[in-house]
Amino acid sequence: MTLSLFYLVAFLSIFFSLLVIFSKNPVHSILYLIITFFTFTIHYILLNAQFLAIVNFIVYMGAILVLFLFVLMLLNLNKDSEPLKSNLLKIIGVIGGMCLLVTLVGSTKALHLSDPVILQAQNLGLVKNLGKVLFSEFLLPFEVSSILLLSAMVGAVLLAKREPNNA
Amino acid sequence: MNALIILSAFAIVILYLGLFNAKRALLPVTLTGLCVALIAVLAEWNTNAQPIYSGMMLFDNFAVAFSTICIFSTILIILISKDYFERISEHVAEYYAILLFALAGILVMVSYYNLSMLFIGIEIMSVSLYILVGIRKKEYASNEAALKYFLMGAFSTGFLLLGITLIYGATGSFNLESIRGYVVSNPTSISTLFYSGMILMLIGFCFKIGVAPFHFWTPDVYEGSPTLITAFMSTVAKTAGFAAFIRLFSICFAPLSDFWMPTIVVIIVLTIFIGNITAVYQHSFKRMLAYSSISHAGYLLFATLLLGAASTNAVFVYATAYSIASIIAFAVLILVRRETGSSSFDSFNGLAKKNPLMAFTLTISMFSLAGIPLTAGFIGKFMVFSVVLSEYRIGLIGLAIINALIGVFYYLKVVTAMYFKEVDREEIAVPAYYKLVLCFSAVATILLGIYPNVILALF
Repeated sequence: MTLSLFYLVAFLSIFFSLLVIFSKNPVHSILYLIITFFTFTIHYILLNAQFLAIVNFIVYMGAILVLFLFVLMLLNLNKDSEPLKSNLLKIIGVIGGMCLLVTLVGSTKALHLSDPVILQAQNLGLVKNLGKVLFSEFLLPFEVSSILLLSAMVGAVLLAKREPNNA
Repeated sequence: MNALIILSAFAIVILYLGLFNAKRALLPVTLTGLCVALIAVLAEWNTNAQPIYSGMMLFDNFAVAFSTICIFSTILIILISKDYFERISEHVAEYYAILLFALAGILVMVSYYNLSMLFIGIEIMSVSLYILVGIRKKEYASNEAALKYFLMGAFSTGFLLLGITLIYGATGSFNLESIRGYVVSNPTSISTLFYSGMILMLIGFCFKIGVAPFHFWTPDVYEGSPTLITAFMSTVAKTAGFAAFIRLFSICFAPLSDFWMPTIVVIIVLTIFIGNITAVYQHSFKRMLAYSSISHAGYLLFATLLLGAASTNAVFVYATAYSIASIIAFAVLILVRRETGSSSFDSFNGLAKKNPLMAFTLTISMFSLAGIPLTAGFIGKFMVFSVVLSEYRIGLIGLAIINALIGVFYYLKVVTAMYFKEVDREEIAVPAYYKLVLCFSAVATILLGIYPNVILALF
């Protein structure tokens, strides 16, 4: 039962992520991206990663993609303003992407499969364990990332603030 | 660790100073913070450091040496920032604060002992740099540079992160020691995920340090961003990127060097040829420096061919020489550009007559970048090449020497413009801070060129 659910969701995520890159209208693209992220959320739940599922649902699907939509509507993307890409670049891009794909698929295929639905460690993705790890072993990265957030915040305000004089 | 705390605290103090409009205090406070941090870093030299905070960071001599050179270069750059940010915007305090935050990220990058710290360090540095690149809000080139840098940087971070994930999948740990333990204990049965992870991390790093074929963002970003920030990016940020690169590869991936060595050799050859040959065709001094920084990244990568104390030392000497010489070049460029409004080679014509000091120091810097004897750059090139020669890679050395000769050609272009092209021009006023930095850097370059023993046997 869960195995067939896994395959269904996996199929859906690949299908919708392909739609994201192939749809002509950027707004549709983003809507498909939301569905793709929703299927990721289901994957996380299947893997018992509750915290990741909730964060993915609230932050990515909710906040970030709505931001994307806003930005798109402000940008006013037209066909004319889109720069033309040469065919050579496209071919090189396809070759490069395929090489990466072959490498990744090859390296994962050589692994032996574990059962995708039966968990090795039952309590792995629970919020409680995550919190314990975050405040013991990974305390330093957790604290240091505050520098990252602070500098990003200062910078965002700095870039968005209106200059008083036209220097 | 102390230096990291000091830098972050001083950055916050500076934000408060900006809040209370204490503009005169900004530069002295920033310099004090950097000096205190420098002392705190130097105090950890040779203390037999152990990994701290459950193996997150390790302040060994490697970390101390590279932190020192990064903080030191930042001090020089901050000294020439007097009156620089004021011309761009009212909010000067924030720039100093973000520079210090970037430096804090760099300290994390050179002293990490866990891949999660590596990632956070790189992100702190990159996010701060994205902002600093775009601080000329009304200038189109600066906006373009910031956007390009941001998109490329985010993209490369994706590669790095995927690489870290795959390595975690293979080894079950972020800790550098455990990863090395995994590689050493399973010499024959290393998971295939590990190899893909290694290649992806290599790609991510190559993006960050701007070596070919991942260099396309470098010239545009270096040219479009404010010159002072270009100086910071091409010296401090590049040194930190190399330090992080070498730390990871020498601790974790050294046993598998047969696997990644051919890739690195191809990258090196591409980088030095693309960097040097394109630099010849540039008409703008700033863009020429951008391409030359690509080729210098190639020379620095030479040292990864033989990982160990000798190569670390070579990279350290080379990065020091390159940073000091570049700071002179950028300082002179700022002054010339302020006067003439352009950064082409022609704006340097006849500089030697009116500003002999500037012309002389810039000549020393160009000699050092070109690797002419009696300058620090020569010692750096010599050490890097001798690392490669000890591996008997004669062909590679031949290519490198051809490129060094090409380099001499375009570095001397600006020297001939200054000394042999007569143009009537006004004398450029050189502020005292600039004089200090120029003289100090020139003396340091010559001194390291004549008495290299000062920093030669550190490791």
